[in-house]
Amino acid sequence: MDILHAMLHGFAVLAQPETLLYMVGGFLIGTFFGAVPGLTSVLAIALLLPLTYSLDVSSALVACASIFMAGMCSGSITATTINIPGAPASMMTAIEGYPMQQRGEGAKALGHAALGSMIGGSIGALLLMVVAPLAADAALLIRTPGKFALIAFALIVIIISQRGSVTKGTIATLFGVMIATIGIDVMQPLARFTFGTSALVQGIDMMPLIIGTFAISELLVQADSRDRRTVDPSQMKAAKVRRRDFIPPLSEVREIGLYRYLKSAVIGYAVGILPGAGGSMAAFVSYAEAMRSSKHPERFGKGNPEGIAAAECANNSMCGGAFVPMLTFGIPGDPTTAIVLGVMIINGLQPGPQFMNTQLELVAPMFASLFVSALILIPLTLYLLGPYFLKIVSIRRDVLYSSIAVIALVGSYVATYSVFQMALALVFGVLAYFLRKQKYPTVCLLLGFVLGPSLEEYCRRALSINDGNPSIFFTSPDSLFFLALTVVFFYFMVIRKPKDNSLGTPPAS
Amino acid sequence: MSPKRLIADGRFVVPAVLTIVTVVYLIEAIRIGPPMKGGNMTPAFFPIAIAIVTLIALACAMVQAIRGMATQAESEDRPRGGISAKALAVTLITAAYLAAFDVAGYFVATFFYVLLLSVIFGGRRGWPFKLLAAVVITALGFGLFELVFQVRLPTLWSQ
Repeated sequence: MDILHAMLHGFAVLAQPETLLYMVGGFLIGTFFGAVPGLTSVLAIALLLPLTYSLDVSSALVACASIFMAGMCSGSITATTINIPGAPASMMTAIEGYPMQQRGEGAKALGHAALGSMIGGSIGALLLMVVAPLAADAALLIRTPGKFALIAFALIVIIISQRGSVTKGTIATLFGVMIATIGIDVMQPLARFTFGTSALVQGIDMMPLIIGTFAISELLVQADSRDRRTVDPSQMKAAKVRRRDFIPPLSEVREIGLYRYLKSAVIGYAVGILPGAGGSMAAFVSYAEAMRSSKHPERFGKGNPEGIAAAECANNSMCGGAFVPMLTFGIPGDPTTAIVLGVMIINGLQPGPQFMNTQLELVAPMFASLFVSALILIPLTLYLLGPYFLKIVSIRRDVLYSSIAVIALVGSYVATYSVFQMALALVFGVLAYFLRKQKYPTVCLLLGFVLGPSLEEYCRRALSINDGNPSIFFTSPDSLFFLALTVVFFYFMVIRKPKDNSLGTPPAS
Repeated sequence: MSPKRLIADGRFVVPAVLTIVTVVYLIEAIRIGPPMKGGNMTPAFFPIAIAIVTLIALACAMVQAIRGMATQAESEDRPRGGISAKALAVTLITAAYLAAFDVAGYFVATFFYVLLLSVIFGGRRGWPFKLLAAVVITALGFGLFELVFQVRLPTLWSQ
């Protein structure tokens, strides 16, 4: 009953004009960043991070949730109309959406994408409201050795989900852990790796790492492009869409069927809970399952609304699932939830098993924002802004990237009012640029940085409980459970690699 | 495999540079103290363990890079590994911006930074628009941070 009350309170907070403004504003920003090729919702939330110093925590979380949801669905706009996925999660949508666009059914494809996103996002948010408090209760049962094994499990799954680059994933993750060890030790008042610099005694703040990894490195990558605009205006002429065509025919929705929507939403949600999987993996798994179980598999790849529905439903449902491990265990599974964790930490909140019991009222507006964004803002935005989408996303790159640079760098300054933080953002940006050029997953760098201190702390605490004897990790039931789970995941994801010949290998997150 | 080709290939150079960083990290970790004391882990244990595992992973990455280069025909184009001229320019301009930020203040530093970035991202044509955009972005940035979010930014007159 308390949970229900807290959730209703969340909707009431969301209904306040100021909070509502943050949700709508966040949604529009997320739509823009998700739709423009090269920009992502992760970058949008990263740029928002410094501003959260001045925001109320609930408002900041509400904005983050709506950016997350909007960014996940808006990638389908350019994926469908010009065959360039605005976000990695929309790659499967492009496979079906672009052939429909070529047949003159682009608006209808966008309508199916929005409907799938709406259903998937709403179900994911509802499941989050139901599952997160229960998962938090279960998390209370996990003791120190189990917590270490759980974080190790999360890091290993994040690494092995980087398909084709496990070594690079390992290196990036461990570098993140190494960066996190700079500063005061997690258990003793001892400064490590300061190299005689007093500025490093407090450690590396999450902000310059996030800004550097996602904003500065993007600037450096985009500097190589010769295009003057984000989307070629000549492509826009061939992709005119009308507002009335956005509503998908009921006959096609019936053909897809309620079961397909529900199944895709559950798949997306389950994939979202897994560390490192992300929206692209959710869309891939759901699309592959839709193709396998469809009555007309031969239609896939030729502009089939069922494929769009399955992919979009799953990647938006993933948003709800991704919040579960972050809120209940303090373990973010993807960059977006890692940045949301940063927002919470900036505001003095530490997600974990106790968090959902004590601070549910603070995060309930975020749950409500996810739900309302999916149920109302996705279809409404498509209907109102759909015909103008391509004009909105085709903007001058010089204006866009110089604006991003200013927001990112001045945003880094906000944390400590020091140019040192800005310099750190530049250093991490250059590091991430080189890592990205050699296809090292920078997401692993961030997640290693976020999870590293907890990994070290629980490892040392567990060993000190057992006089330094590591057998505690094999005798403690919760630890044993997560170690066994790690072995199972390693077997199925590395030794028996899932592969569908018709689709290739699943995309890395 | 010629050493010249090796040091020009980003697949090898990136893990090699990371190896140097990791070795420095490992030496610093060892300097903290012994990894175990009285049967318990010390603040040095975890960094030492992480550095050793990282070095093993980096060695694997370098071996993979050498094997990849060896299997690649000599006639094939080398994968681009270094920093591009434009990315280098962005890095240097950003470093200069950071140096000027406290000295020249937000307005002056940001105006020139935006102007130079717009040349890199948009070419040298259309100066009136670039100047206008630099003024607008600088003013909007100031409005966003200083007025909306109450962040005190350094200005030339506040030095």
